[in-house]
Amino acid sequence: MLTLILRRLATAIPTLFAVILLSFLLMRFAPGGPFDGERPLDPATRAALITAYGMDQPLPVQFTRYVGNLAQGDFGPSLVYRDFTVTQLVAKGLPVSLTLGALALLLALTLGVASGLAAAMKPGGRADRSIGLIATLLTVLPSFVTAPALVLVFALGLGWLPVSGWGEGAPRHLVLPVIALALPAAGAIAKLTRAGLTEVLGQDHVRAARARGLSPLRTLTRHALRPALVPVASYVGPTAAGLLTGAVVIETIFALPGLGRYFVQGALNRDYPLVLGVVTLYAALIILFNLLADLAYGWLDPRVRG
Amino acid sequence: MSAVYEVEGLSVSVTSRRPEPVEGQSFDKLGTAVVDGLSFTLSPGECLALVGESGSGKSLTCMTPFGLSAGVASGSARLMGEELIGLSEPALRPLRARHAGFVFQQPLTALTPHLTIAAHLAEAAMQAGGPRPSRSELAAMLDRVGLDVPDERLDQFPHRLSGGQRQRVLIAMAIAHAPAVLVADEPTSALDAALRHDIMALLRRLQRESGMAMLLVSHDLAGVADHADRLLVMKHGRMMETGPARTLVSTPRSDYAKALVAATPRLDAPIAARPAVGGMLLEANAIRVSFPRPGWRSGRMLAVDGASLSVRAGECLALVGGSGSGKSTLARAIARLGPCDSGDVLWKDAPLPPRSAMRRGDRRGFQPVFQDPVASLDPRWSVAEIVGEPLAWLGQSPPFVSSDVETPDQRLDVTRHERIERVQAALAAVDLPPDFAIRRARELSGGQAQRVALARALVSEPDLLVLDEATSALDVLVAAQIVALLQRLQRERGLAILAITHDLALARLLAHRIAVMEAGRIVEEGWAEEVCASPAHPVTQRLVAASRGS
Repeated sequence: MLTLILRRLATAIPTLFAVILLSFLLMRFAPGGPFDGERPLDPATRAALITAYGMDQPLPVQFTRYVGNLAQGDFGPSLVYRDFTVTQLVAKGLPVSLTLGALALLLALTLGVASGLAAAMKPGGRADRSIGLIATLLTVLPSFVTAPALVLVFALGLGWLPVSGWGEGAPRHLVLPVIALALPAAGAIAKLTRAGLTEVLGQDHVRAARARGLSPLRTLTRHALRPALVPVASYVGPTAAGLLTGAVVIETIFALPGLGRYFVQGALNRDYPLVLGVVTLYAALIILFNLLADLAYGWLDPRVRG
Repeated sequence: MSAVYEVEGLSVSVTSRRPEPVEGQSFDKLGTAVVDGLSFTLSPGECLALVGESGSGKSLTCMTPFGLSAGVASGSARLMGEELIGLSEPALRPLRARHAGFVFQQPLTALTPHLTIAAHLAEAAMQAGGPRPSRSELAAMLDRVGLDVPDERLDQFPHRLSGGQRQRVLIAMAIAHAPAVLVADEPTSALDAALRHDIMALLRRLQRESGMAMLLVSHDLAGVADHADRLLVMKHGRMMETGPARTLVSTPRSDYAKALVAATPRLDAPIAARPAVGGMLLEANAIRVSFPRPGWRSGRMLAVDGASLSVRAGECLALVGGSGSGKSTLARAIARLGPCDSGDVLWKDAPLPPRSAMRRGDRRGFQPVFQDPVASLDPRWSVAEIVGEPLAWLGQSPPFVSSDVETPDQRLDVTRHERIERVQAALAAVDLPPDFAIRRARELSGGQAQRVALARALVSEPDLLVLDEATSALDVLVAAQIVALLQRLQRERGLAILAITHDLALARLLAHRIAVMEAGRIVEEGWAEEVCASPAHPVTQRLVAASRGS
């Protein structure tokens, strides 16, 4: 297991480097720059700013310097929010996104695995068909449809929950965004769990367990569930990274001060260091969660470990 | 003594669903009787073996009364005096848990991959309501089935154990709650020849020790004859013959039982004269093959460790060994079908290029036939396409699929005519009628599919066939026909064969020489009869003992 982790960390460095290089170049080749607002700055100020941030240097020099600073943990200053460094902005947005994403992930897993189990108990039965239909609906409905619908019913209609805002992390403010974020993932997880279980339930070791007189529920949970979750793990890995680093749409709809909003604003404003910082963080999380998914395979099915 | 398990007039039908042509979601249920009015009784301490070919209904006979197959049973089956037929699954479950133990054919997949051996054994011991066994009791269970280092095994996951070891664990689980009846469905047919005898002897010993009854299912008449008390020979769901095991094998009365006995290769059977041998055809020297270790572990493991062999024109060399001995890997490396780290291969005194540098024409002289005939044919292709394909791709006639249109008519007719003729000749060589050419591969039975695979190998008129367990997936009667066909091809065509098999008796039937492999090395090599009559290496001795079934 240690060799696997070390091998992954070794390949993570060139991957991260490639991600940073590509996003750096893409940002620079996109038209416009951080100082091109609607109201043009006077040329002298603009030139001074460009010199101050070192953007008059050739690109390779800028890139080398950026990577050098990054290696020391310095994401650089924000070019638009001029009183803040990128690190400070991320430190403000990340906890919000993390709370939201972790709760949504937990909810999606609970809902998805439970309904997948219920569907697989009797394939073709009424529960299976209705769960299949709902799961399909949830996966195809984009969150900019489900989120306003939820707001309409539970906030505006019934008045049970606030319409939007962070409310300093009060549970009431979290309910709707977490549900809206979790539903599509829950649908996908339910479908994957059901498919995995139906496959595993046809295997010899399940038949052998049945032959020993185990109850259907025990056969399902003890002998079939873990191997059936392997496809779920490969889906949850990258999805978790996406949920945790900020769901742009949900954060915008509910006006939450998460990372996703900084990312979108950074991109629109050509705030190079902010975008690069968020992309680097996102890439690192993707790598981390794929590693966690691989470790999960090893737990779900020891044959993977060899 | 009263019977623990009595079956009277048992019939099993399997319901296959066929969608109706009319609109709507309803299905037309077709019930087909696959077991027809079977009766037998089992007394404590007795072993009855149901013997028959695949499709004879022997597994369904065993499993359906216990609710472990998709079939529907009628008639009567009483376990410890309780009627099983007609019981619902919740009512059957405790009866299975308390009175019956099951051992299945596939030890490799019958254990839950994520549970340790200890967890499996504890669950089995508690299935009839017993207390949770202590660790030393669990180790004792493994010790009883002859597994080495039981204490270490307890913490291992199933995939670390070999097939034979896993079958021992499954047997330990099946007897953990001291059942009255042990049902063993082909418990040894997925195992090596050398192991089969050990496992059968173990089952027999445990059965005698505990006085339980055993219902054994097998396709291998000779393999069970020495272990069972009584045999029941089945065909198409009906009983053909029943009687004491030794009597039935030595003097079978029914024609079917006679055919089964005759079709089983035996080490003491007389051998026909083998065809003459010509000059050197294939020489492989110091072949080494290694694979990366599976999973997260690093390093490589050696599968073939410097093995050398040679085959002369018209000669048959049998490569014999247990599973994992490297015999298939070696043959694949030589035939350039698999990886080869080092070592050289001489084909007709010229070095064979490495796999990556092989051109199509280089393969014409040696053709492979694989173990699973159904898997090695594309189900959608017709027999003519399958058999004719090598002619196109081995450079003997232009590809017939795409470029036929552009070829001048005259030449097209000739090549197409010639191709059809050669396909027909190849089909005739494997005793298939000409009208088989239009059949699809998915319509073929196992034996027919293996004949088609042989025809595909023969159509390019090779000098050497590489047979990888070419008969071991087939029923015993069908396998005997394929062996007879191979012997005829040897005689008539002077075909050389490199045959990979785990079955020494089969090797003796076909081969001039036998090479025995273990752990990637050839440990013994010699004339077939001599190797079988006076085996020198312990591995060979074990294989000989296993084939004798003593």
